[in-house]
Amino acid sequence: MIDLVQTVNSPEQITAAALPLRARALSSQLTPIQVIEVLVRWGAALRGPALDAIPGVAFLRLWLRRGSLEPMLLRELGPGALHGEWRQEGLARLGVLPVGVVGHWPAGNIEIQPLLSMSCALLGGNACLVRVPSGLVDTTRAIMQSLHAADSDGALTSRIGMIAFEHERMDLQQAMAAAVDGAMIWGGAESVSRIRRLPFPHWARVAVFGPRLSVAAMDAESWSNEAEQAAWCQRIARDVWQFDQQACSSPQALFLERREGLEVDGFVRALRRAFEEENRVHPRVDIHSALSSSICLVRASWLLDAGGRQAVFPMSPDWTILLGSGSEIPAPTQGRTLSVLLVDDLMDPISKFDGAVQTLGIAMGNDAKELRLAQAAARCGVDRIVRLGRMHVFGSPWDGADLIRPMTRLVRHMPSLEA
Amino acid sequence: MSGRAFTQEPRQHQAELLCLLRAELAYAAECNAGLRRYYEAWPCDYRTASRIADLPYLPVGVFKANPPLALVAPDKITRTLASSATTGQTPSRVVLDADTSKRMTKGVLTIIQDFIGPKRRPYLVIDTPQSLEGNAEIGARAAAIQGLRSFATEIVCCLKSESADHLELNAEKLLACAARWRSAEVLVYGFTYVLWQHLVLPLRARGIKLDMPNVRVLHSGGWKRLQDQAVTPAAFAAGVASVFGCAETQILDFYGMVENVGIVYPDCEQGNKHVPAYADVIVRDPRTLEPARVGEQGLVQVCSVLPSSFPGFLVLTEDIGEIILDDGCRCGRRGIGFRFVKRVPKAEIRGCGNIDTTRERPTAAAEHD
Repeated sequence: MIDLVQTVNSPEQITAAALPLRARALSSQLTPIQVIEVLVRWGAALRGPALDAIPGVAFLRLWLRRGSLEPMLLRELGPGALHGEWRQEGLARLGVLPVGVVGHWPAGNIEIQPLLSMSCALLGGNACLVRVPSGLVDTTRAIMQSLHAADSDGALTSRIGMIAFEHERMDLQQAMAAAVDGAMIWGGAESVSRIRRLPFPHWARVAVFGPRLSVAAMDAESWSNEAEQAAWCQRIARDVWQFDQQACSSPQALFLERREGLEVDGFVRALRRAFEEENRVHPRVDIHSALSSSICLVRASWLLDAGGRQAVFPMSPDWTILLGSGSEIPAPTQGRTLSVLLVDDLMDPISKFDGAVQTLGIAMGNDAKELRLAQAAARCGVDRIVRLGRMHVFGSPWDGADLIRPMTRLVRHMPSLEA
Repeated sequence: MSGRAFTQEPRQHQAELLCLLRAELAYAAECNAGLRRYYEAWPCDYRTASRIADLPYLPVGVFKANPPLALVAPDKITRTLASSATTGQTPSRVVLDADTSKRMTKGVLTIIQDFIGPKRRPYLVIDTPQSLEGNAEIGARAAAIQGLRSFATEIVCCLKSESADHLELNAEKLLACAARWRSAEVLVYGFTYVLWQHLVLPLRARGIKLDMPNVRVLHSGGWKRLQDQAVTPAAFAAGVASVFGCAETQILDFYGMVENVGIVYPDCEQGNKHVPAYADVIVRDPRTLEPARVGEQGLVQVCSVLPSSFPGFLVLTEDIGEIILDDGCRCGRRGIGFRFVKRVPKAEIRGCGNIDTTRERPTAAAEHD
């Protein structure tokens, strides 16, 4: 039985793993529709108690559907792209072709990220060399087993090499960079910078996703609407819980528009109930002691540092609601810790956003106001403005960039024989 | 052999301490509005709590605040203690008034006496004479050195310094007092890395052995700098014993922190740390923050009724510890026996794809791992 994630110890092993992948990618065409067929079968096969327990698998299952993948592909690669056809542009023909082998450096804390990143490059017809973070090897193996089962003739799996090695091994990182024609890099500033400095071939395409953080905002009409309050709070809780609030699309702060005569206490009670319920359904299995320690510190610091603040939390580190006012985004704690901040005008915090904010989750009761807010947020660097509850819906564009097109080449053929 | 500090029956100890701590919290809430907010937000009312574990504790990071958290007016502050933060870190600072200072001194004495006996003796300080100065703000090193001076009949500091970050062995002075105190029961104290770096290594390089078989060598301050030099506790003990010409059992490592001033935790002969009557230690499971059971590791919380000038009654440290036993250590000391395991690895927030905060790793996690 083959090991779905191969542990490598030498640069030569990486070079040897990349060679057949490149040959496969460049010698045999795999049309996007063929890739989609397999991905859809894979998505349907992602079931069972062990897989269901992996964070994000439920989302991956939904994402690996024709209805998600085809529109993304058509938007990025244009009509005809599904079947790998060349399109006519004047006298020329244009074809979308893979770059070759795409190396993937996913972050170490999002279980499904190696698979999402890989799927995007496969849709472009590429082969993939994926460095699986050491903490994700077991979960990646489990998810990949389903792909192998769904891809009996190896159309996709023959184009995938999954390798694991210690991140400190710069010789192996360098060998991997040298062996690829494109790179999709995900993670925090420090690691992204380190990977970008690797000796990629001069032709390699490099796409970087992250580091970012996300926030949420609600106008007074939405948060004070008692009929809708519970539903909105449930959506917020889900956005906070998914990926344990560690994804770039996880809300770290929620800005509430203040309105005279409206008390926020009822909303905070509803949010507490939603957090308690979400925690009951999705209890924390494990926690790093450093995160537990950080949660305790932010609870205390929040209340000690300034007056007019409140906090709601259980004895455990399961969740925390910090309530105050102000338009600055507090330093994220993560670990299901949401800062709820009252502002006079939602434009105040938005005007302070910089490129760090990826997603703005919103609940607005007025279309025109929402449009103004969305435009302001977009101008201030936000790449995604979505309804609360949909902050993690992974799709293209992501981080303001396409997911498939960057790892393809647009080839122009001008026929030598004039028509 | 144990003295009064470690003889109390555990249940009685817990009950008495709970009453005292509740009173301390009520006093702190009166003195400080921020603390009052924190205690009110705490899920369990401290006034009716039935376990020490349910009382509101402060994470140690809050003592990095500037100005320091205080429960007394500025004119009552006699001294400020600062932790030994490494480069780039903000030190913790705690303020002492006269009453807290007295209790702190007595607290340390009672504990150390239980390990080395009450007798006064010559005191060899592996540091500079400046460490004995009574400045308004002193560091953890000076505080530890001065905390032991009550044991001294006379004091000799055997390091010299030309600048704040330069320490050098005054070998002439050391050899003179070694000759004079050869057979005496001498108390030696130094910060762990200072002892190694500025006494053991220079003496070893010169092939000097002090021939002081009756010393009791106390050291504290942690192992980080020595770990960086790959010096293990066993190698350290062997090295120190070798230069003094004493048995390794005469070397005593103790843990202490400025936020828990007045309480130190030496290792007993079984290798465990114990808690005196006026204190407690809880090891908390990081997942639930509930007290861990015997054999489990978790975040160490220290409890003390000694401070009244700052809110250091219940402090969640950034150390990982393990409960070894509930009671009945073979050394004779009552109550729990625990051990420090390591520092909590630092958590850094880095945006998307942040550090791995869901899995404990042996080394500090990086995003791509």
